[in-house]
Formats: sequence, structure tokens, C-alpha cells
Amino acid sequence: MRRSANRRTVLQKSIGLNSSSATSDPYRSGRSVSKEMENIEILFGNYADISSGDIEPAGIESLCSDISISHTDVRMLLLAWKTKAKRQGYFSQYEWCRGLKALRADTLAKLKKALSDLEKEVRSPQNFLDFYSYAFRYCLADIQKNIDLETACELLNIVLASQFPSQTKKLIEFIKFQHEYKVINMDQWTGFLRFCNEINFPSLDNYDSTLAWPLILDNFVEWMLERQN
Amino acid sequence: MSGPQRKNLFKIEPFKQRVELDPNYSDKAWKILEHAIHEIYSHNASGLSFEELYRNAYHMVLHKYGEKLYNGLVCSMTCHLREISKCIEAAYGVLFLEELNRKWVDHNKALQMIRDILMYMDRTYVPTSQKKTVHDLGLKLWRDIIIHSRNIQIRLLDTLLDLIYKERTGEVINRGLMRNVTKMLSDLGISVYQDDFEKTFLDASSSFYCGESQKFIECCDCGQYLIKAEKRLTEEIERVSHYLSSSSEEKITNVVEKEMIANHMQRLVHMDNSGLVNMLIHDKYDDLGRMYSLFRRVSGGLVTIRDVMTFHLRETGKQLVMDSEKLRDPVEFVQRLLDERDKHDTIITQAFNNDKTFQNALNSSFEYFINLNNRSPEFISLFVDDKLRKGLKGVNEEDVEMVLDKVMMLFRYLQEKDVFEKYHKQHLAKRLLAGKTVSDDAERSLILKLKTECGYQFTSKLEGMFTDMKTSQDTMQGFYASQISDSGVGPTLVVHVLTTGSWPAQPSIPCNLPAEILGVCEKFKAYYLGTHTGRRLSWQTNMGSADLKATFGKGQKHELNVSTYQMCVLMLFNTSEQLTYTEIEQATEIPPQDLKRCLQSLACVKGKHVLHKNPMSKEIAEDDKFYFNDNFSSKFYKVKIGTVAAQKESEPEKQETRQKVEEDRKPQIEAAIVRIMKSRRVLEHNNIVLEVTKQLQSRFLPNPVVIKKRIESLIEREFLERDKNDRKLYRYLA
Repeated sequence: MRRSANRRTVLQKSIGLNSSSATSDPYRSGRSVSKEMENIEILFGNYADISSGDIEPAGIESLCSDISISHTDVRMLLLAWKTKAKRQGYFSQYEWCRGLKALRADTLAKLKKALSDLEKEVRSPQNFLDFYSYAFRYCLADIQKNIDLETACELLNIVLASQFPSQTKKLIEFIKFQHEYKVINMDQWTGFLRFCNEINFPSLDNYDSTLAWPLILDNFVEWMLERQN
Repeated sequence: MSGPQRKNLFKIEPFKQRVELDPNYSDKAWKILEHAIHEIYSHNASGLSFEELYRNAYHMVLHKYGEKLYNGLVCSMTCHLREISKCIEAAYGVLFLEELNRKWVDHNKALQMIRDILMYMDRTYVPTSQKKTVHDLGLKLWRDIIIHSRNIQIRLLDTLLDLIYKERTGEVINRGLMRNVTKMLSDLGISVYQDDFEKTFLDASSSFYCGESQKFIECCDCGQYLIKAEKRLTEEIERVSHYLSSSSEEKITNVVEKEMIANHMQRLVHMDNSGLVNMLIHDKYDDLGRMYSLFRRVSGGLVTIRDVMTFHLRETGKQLVMDSEKLRDPVEFVQRLLDERDKHDTIITQAFNNDKTFQNALNSSFEYFINLNNRSPEFISLFVDDKLRKGLKGVNEEDVEMVLDKVMMLFRYLQEKDVFEKYHKQHLAKRLLAGKTVSDDAERSLILKLKTECGYQFTSKLEGMFTDMKTSQDTMQGFYASQISDSGVGPTLVVHVLTTGSWPAQPSIPCNLPAEILGVCEKFKAYYLGTHTGRRLSWQTNMGSADLKATFGKGQKHELNVSTYQMCVLMLFNTSEQLTYTEIEQATEIPPQDLKRCLQSLACVKGKHVLHKNPMSKEIAEDDKFYFNDNFSSKFYKVKIGTVAAQKESEPEKQETRQKVEEDRKPQIEAAIVRIMKSRRVLEHNNIVLEVTKQLQSRFLPNPVVIKKRIESLIEREFLERDKNDRKLYRYLA
């Protein structure tokens, strides 16, 4: 309780401070850690909404323009993943500090660099699966279990296109073409990644429909083969 | 001689008889016996003394001359048989066999006598020295000397085969003689019969029938050929019973079967204009029966018939159910199916020995083609509807049962039983509400049959419908009893109170009822809700009917039997002469599609056009005008307008019903998946599909894609999950 009370006072003081004054110490003494923490909190204060105490969509927008990244850039999604943000378009102070501390970024410049590094780091299969599923959950509103097709396609473009450009392109084309499904659920979402990882593309010669793929992928493969002939 | 002083010892010498035999005794005795054998063979046995001969033989054996005796016998018999052999060889033509037979009889007689004489030798010498008994020796010598003699062996065989050939080609032969000769061969040992006769006989028969079947098949049609084959077969069996060893029966029938049937099976079955298909089409029970009994004798024979029958059934069935011309009248369509089944059922009972495997083939064929047309369930229900409305009027109970049983048989073939049930429920509802059921007993009997097939769940709702009808009657009586005060005024109302859920759900927007009706409706509502608190009543104006008394020009009166919708429309013309379509629609608020249909039946049916339409066309347009037809006339007092009888559904209606069925299937499939997964915990995708199909096939055949969809839905709702490692596996989440 005391700690959080302290933090609140620090936060209130820090408003209005110039973020550029925060520098990092490469040797990270105990003092510098707390210094880093302080800087992160100062950064949070710069973007947080005063009344709610969270960073809200408006704050994110100004953050994006400050580090000159589009808000639809995969790096913003990576930031959300790292902070384990629960709600799309919002960061709580706890999430923010957890994320930036893990990234060891207490300045905007470091943050931008860290996000670019993260883009490489996330390519390891285990990390990517985690990130990929997180991206889906992040887009769910409230108690929903599905995301609508438009969001799904955009999300695919953001998270999957860099690794599997041709698959993503075709998949999005198919999703827009078909009328059977109006939403995409988690099972189908993870199915897409698994499909990209396992199936030869575009020959699809190792696709076995008896392997219990989600039906939407059966349809996708059928559609692909039809168009190939 | 000797003096008296000599002690005279009297000695009694033992009686010494010379037992020593005459050294020539054995020769003498054999001479006697040999002579006797000679006499026997010369038919001169009457002068012989059995006692003397037996004694001599006995002594010879006793005095260890057994071997001499035996060898002598062999020698002498051989000698005699050689003589006989010459006699037989000298006989020609028909006489040859006769001579052979006569000598054989003689030889047997002689052998009998010799055996009697030498009985002691047979008993003692033969067993100890392991020789053949006299009788066996006689047979062996006969075989070696006569039968296997170079001049006789071939001739005998040729003669026998020649005679059999003659008989086969229609000549009469001496069967007695044949029997004796083959009997002789068998007596000489089964191997003699087989080696010296049977083998060659079978070969000769084989080539005979091979040739003959070729000849027949070129010039006969299938039926004739089968008659010939059957005749040949019985002939051969007869031949065996007359003069061959019974052991030959199976072998010779095998030959005939192979040559005449097995080798030509395919060709026979597929013969143009006379093969199996032709027989089936023309109900040739005799030919079919013959084919069955002949073909069943050879391996693969019945399979051949069955396969061709199945193929034929499937093809004709396919045409039956796919021909759009024949689909126009559902009742006829089903009648045709029933006729087809009856026809083949009769064939199987009459000609195919009521063979179970054929019945199964028949059933599987029907199952195959009935389900090719997805309207079959609807049509079968329409057929039932037709029968229960009018078809069974005045038919006795047994025949009603028979018709219903046949329908149930078709029902069993259906893969989509749930679709039939859906239609049946709809049609039953219409029958009950229109009061058009011929017999309650027949209805109940059908429900009972469905209950045994589909279980309690389905029929409980149907039974609920009957209960509603009964309760409604009582309610109406109660209602009118309470309304005595103002009886005789206003229309008579008959209400059926239907329990929601028991009856097929009909989306219903109640139309605007005429004021006269509305009043009495409100009264009923008040009465009903007064007696049954907490219930809700809503009017199903799309299901009712009305009898209207109408007065036309020239004071002509008629009673019009119309639907509720039609009544609403007609009542409007009490107050106005002319109305447009739009006006009618606004006044009644009947759904456009129903309104169009009901106007069509009021204005466009010849002889029943109570209304005039302008312009006079079949189709109803928005700005059409309608007039009351004052000149309406009819021969009948009662005029029935617009039938509410169940008809074949239109394309959109069909789609709708199908969609409803699909919707109803979803929970059933999901329940099956959950049931299976609950007990198995972890299961492969394909196995789930398999088991679900198995569980549900008595109701319908679930589509694997639909099953997959249901699985995915259950994954989404977290009843199941995919296994992390093996993608084929699902896990049950408890």
C-alpha cells in the first residue's frame, strides 16, 4: 500500500517533467533501477488520461505520433503483447510498467528500438504462437469469443503477412469470398497458423482433410484447388 | 516152440495202427478236389459229395498240406478263368456283355461252392498264412484274368461308354445288363470301378456335355437352355440310380453342372432378350426358379444371379425415382415403388426359394435408390396422407394394415427418417384439423408402427395431437352449454385448442377476422381462459375452415366450404361490390402469398369462381379488381372451394422444411458427440464421425461435414478441445 501511495505521488510530481531528462545507466545499480522505473512512470504520465488514470486510445495515438509508428503497425501489437494488455486501445499503469520494464525502455527512443528488436525476437516459433494467440484475444471485446471477418483479415495482415505473405494473401481473399462464416473463432485462428506452418504452399499436396482441420480450412483448400484447375 | 519152463511173460502190445498216411494221400485228395472244381465249372456239380470233398480238404489242411491245396486252387481257378476269358473274347457285339455277365454269374456260383468245400482252409490256413480268402481270391483272379485281359479291358470300357452315349442320344438300352456289369466292377473293388470305368466315363461325359452345351447355347434362348440343362441333370441322376454306383452321382452331376452351367453362367445371365433381366421384367417364375435351382449347384452361381438382379433393380429404381415425369404425382410415385417391391418380393418367394440373401439384396437396392431422391420422405408421407384421407375408405381392417405395413417397409429404407416424420406430422395436423381422417383406428395403428420404429419420443407428440382433438370436443360442448342464453344468433364456432410443441410450428400472423366472427371468438376466449387460468390463446387463422351460406342472383343459395382466409375475403363483399387486391390485403392483413393463393382459388378455378377478376388472368397482380359473381351457379348445393389437402411442397417450402430438419439435427448430432466423448474422453476425428453416424443412422444419415461443424461448435463452447500434440484427437472437457 505504501509503495503504491508513493507511486501515485511520484506520478503526480512527474507530470510536466521533460521525458528527455531521463537517462539510463548501463551498469544498472539499484539506484538506476529505481531511476529507470521512475522514468517509465513519467512516460506513462505523459500519455495517461488524468481522469481514468489509464492510457486511452487518445494517449496511444499521441504515443504513436511521438515515436512515428502507425497505430496499426505490428510493433504496437507487440507492445501490447509485451505489456500483456487486456483491453484493446488501453494500457493500465501496471501493464505499462511491466511491459516497458521487460523491454528495458525508459525513453521513447529506447522504446522504439526495443520494439524493432522485438519484431525479430518474436519470430521464434514458441514466441510467435504466443503472440499470435494473444493478438486474437486482444481483439476480443468483452465476453465475445469471435472476431468479425474484417477485423480478422486486418489482424492477419498485421501478424501473419510478414512471415507467410502468399498464404495470408490467399486466405484473406478466401475469407472475403466465402459467405458461410461471419466470424472467426480461436480454433480457426490457431488453425490458420498451423496451416501456414505445416502445409506446402501453394501445392497443398500434404493437406489431409481427415486430420480434423477446421472446416473453414477444408473449404479454403477446396477453393484453392478449384482455382488452380 | 518154447518149453514150459520158460517164464511166459504176456505182454500186451499197444494197439499199433499205422497212422502214417499214404505218402500219396495229398496228391490223391487234391486230385479229387481238382476234379470237383472242374466239375463245378462245367455245371456238373450235382454228382459231387459235399461231405467227401469237405473231408478231403479238411484233412489236407490238417496234415499241413494247406499250401499245396491253396496253390492248387489258384492254379486250377486260373486255368478255368483263362478258358472263360477265351469264351468271352469270342463273343461279339451285344453278346459280349451278355456273355461276360453270364460267365460272371457262373463264376460267382462256382466260387460259392468252392468256398463251401474249402471252408476249413478259409478258417484256419488263410488267416495264419495271410492269404486271400477263397472268395477274394476268386474276385482277384477274375479281375486279373478277365477284366484286365488285353482283349477285354478296352472292349468292355468302350462298350459301356457306347451304350451310355446311345442312351443319351435317345436309344433304349438294356439297363439291367448295364447294372449287372457295373455292379460286377464295383464288387471287384471300388478302385476297379473307378479306374476301369468311372474316370473315363466322367471324361467322356465332360466332352459330351461340353459339345452339347456349346450347341445349345448357340441356338437356344436362356429359358430353353435351362430346361435342357435341367433335363440332362435329372437324366444323369436317374442313370446313376438305375445302373451306376451311387458314389458316382455327385461326380457326374458335377460334370454336368460345370459343363452346362458354370461354364456358361455369365453368357446365360446376360443373354439378350431372354436373360435374367428379361425374366425379371416378365415375371417368368418358372424360368427364374429353374435358374435359381440350377445355379445354386455351382459355386458363385447365386452370386451371379444376385449381382445381376441387384444391378437391374438399382438401374430401374434409379429411373423410377429420378424421372421428373414420374415425380409429378407423389401418390403414384410411391405406388410404383410399392408395386416394384411387391413384384420382386413375389419373384423371390416364388422362384428364389425365399432366399434370405436375395431379400437382403432387394432391401439394399431399395435403400440405395429411394434415397437418391431427397423428396422420397415427403412423397411417402403424401401417399400415407392420400390413403388416410380417401384411399382406405371402405377397405377392411386387414387390408388397411397391409397397406400401412408396406408403407412402413418403405419408411425403413429411408435414410432421412426425421424428414418423413416432419412431413407426417404436418400432414397429420392438416388431416386432423380438416376432419379428413378416414379412420382413427388406421391413424392409431400407424402411430403404433412408428412407435416401434422410432421410439416413444417421436410418437408422443403425435399422440398429443389426438388428445388435443378429443379435449377440444369436450371444451366446445362446455362452451356451448355455457352460452345457452344467446344461442341461435351469429355463426357457430368450432375451436381446436392445440398445445404448442405437439403440433408442427406454423409461423402465424393472425389476419383480421370479420366482426361477426370476432365476437364469438372473444366469447370463447373469455370462456376458455376462465376455466384454464394462466394459459395463452392465439388464433391460427391459417389453419381453419368455414362453411358459408351464400345467396346469389336469382335467389340461388349455396353452402360454400372455404378456408378461414377465403371466408375473410368473401365476407368483405357483403358490404362492397368491388375491391382491389390492395384493398383486400389491407382489410384482411392476410400474408400476400396466402392471399394470392386464396384469391386464385376463389376467382380462377372453373366452376368455382365465386369472384370475378379483372383482368381475367391466372396470376394475381397488385392492382387487380375483384367483383362478386352474382351469376355463380353450381349443380351442387354444397360447393367446396380450394382444397386444403396436402400437396407436394413448392420449391421454397421444401427448402424451408429442409432447413428446419437441418436445424433439428444439430442438437441431435451434438448430443451424440457429447455422449460419445463423455464415455471415450479422447477420440480421433474419424472415429467420432463413425460413431456418431452409427448412433444416428436409425434416424438419419448425418453428413460428415455437418458433424465436423458441430465438433467445432463444441470446441468453441469448450465442451471439447483439440489435443495439443496429435491434431487428429479431440479431448472431452468435463
